[in-house]
Amino acid sequence: MKRIIAAALVAAFAAAPAAQAHGPTRKKVEEKVTINASPDKVWAVVGNFQDMSWLPPVEKTEGKGGNEIKATRTLTLKGGATVEEELYKYSAEQKSLSYRIDKVDVKVLPVNNYSSTIKVEPVDGGKASEVVWDGAFYRGYMNNDPPPELSDEAAIKAVKALYRSGLDNLKAKIEKGNS
Amino acid sequence: MTPARRLAGLCLLVGIGVAPVPSRAAEAFVTAQNAETVDVIDLDARKVVATIPVPGAPAGIALSPDRARVYVTAPEGKALVVIDAATRRIARTVPLGGGPLGVGVNPVSGAVYVADWYAERLWEVDPKTLAVTAEIAVGTSPSGIAVTPDGKLLLAADRDDDALSLVDAATRRRVAVIPVGTRPFGVTIDADGTRAYAANVGSNDVSVIDIAARREIGRVKVGERPYAVALAGGRAFVTDQYGGTVSTFDTASLAPGPRLDVGEYPEGIQASPDGRHVYVANWESNTLTVIDTGSLTVTGTVKTADGPRAFGQFLR
Repeated sequence: MKRIIAAALVAAFAAAPAAQAHGPTRKKVEEKVTINASPDKVWAVVGNFQDMSWLPPVEKTEGKGGNEIKATRTLTLKGGATVEEELYKYSAEQKSLSYRIDKVDVKVLPVNNYSSTIKVEPVDGGKASEVVWDGAFYRGYMNNDPPPELSDEAAIKAVKALYRSGLDNLKAKIEKGNS
Repeated sequence: MTPARRLAGLCLLVGIGVAPVPSRAAEAFVTAQNAETVDVIDLDARKVVATIPVPGAPAGIALSPDRARVYVTAPEGKALVVIDAATRRIARTVPLGGGPLGVGVNPVSGAVYVADWYAERLWEVDPKTLAVTAEIAVGTSPSGIAVTPDGKLLLAADRDDDALSLVDAATRRRVAVIPVGTRPFGVTIDADGTRAYAANVGSNDVSVIDIAARREIGRVKVGERPYAVALAGGRAFVTDQYGGTVSTFDTASLAPGPRLDVGEYPEGIQASPDGRHVYVANWESNTLTVIDTGSLTVTGTVKTADGPRAFGQFLR
């Protein structure tokens, strides 16, 4: 029964995007990793908006527009769910890019109005890099008094886990390529 | 009467009509939503001089006409928190329920209007008793609130109706619905009460409203996800949340001016009373940006607690 109600709610929100309201408190998550490689080397991987293969749940990335503002990509996850994203800020000079999720099922990632910035900064005079991944989002349930699976805590936990797995895998992938 | 209430009443009495309104702001009270504090920033020293713990994810903010009190909404605490500005302490927490977010104060009567994000209403709180004295029916997801300088009219941005509600403050009735751009959030009224400016989050523009004519008379493109508007020196300054910028335009010609880089996720914005500076709270960067309105440059950045929003009037 609960699941039916949840599904009906998801459907209702999906069908009425104009009425989409978010709760008043946006959350943020920040995760970091230090990688033993130059910022240029790390940016060569992170700075390609059309390749998200370093994020473990992602099976394939399809998109258009390259690294231009308003470029889009669709991430197909293992298991078949998709996430549609759009690039809205890109600076090769600052090694920073920002994108938002245009469409995701809250059962896949329990968030709304999600936006994110990935930045590569030099460490140790450029011998190593720090990758900083920031996310800003509202919880999955857009009204007062959410069910636990669509709460603030659930949203933060899911995004944190995603960033952690992504950054740890990125580090492993790049440092392996060094040797 | 409790001593605290007597003191608050006394402050109110002394404040009205006696203390001259300073031409420049001395302090900023910034709601730091994620840290659950209100930071008091000395704008000359450009640093945080006090941190007031405020539970319930504080967001919206407004000051009493005499600037002795700071009203803060706590959406997760479902309350209006009243802070004594001088002692920097919470004087009272007024439980409201719902989703209190936007807040505005009537500059003449001192009445406090709080928007309930989840219901089509505003609460009116009496500044003396701090009791809810009325509910005002407005549109869907009311967010920003602004009151005309004569205290007669108020505007609420009904975000999910793509419209502003115009309310007669005396009768507490909605007298007009003014269609604007998509998803208006912050709304600001100019010093002579003739025009209002609404930031349309969904259509990336600002609606210019003739208040007497009760209609939109212009629309200006700004950066991505505009949040709120400040007015100074014949210009509008608009925070672009996704852009990380403040867009500007000439309020007479509506011609766009320079766009300034500030912090990430700029939100609350307000001009000092003398119009020489505009202050911007950057939610993601945890900073307050100082803009010089003469040179149109960023002249300072102050570190704040986590998640500054300062949605409303926050300069004292």
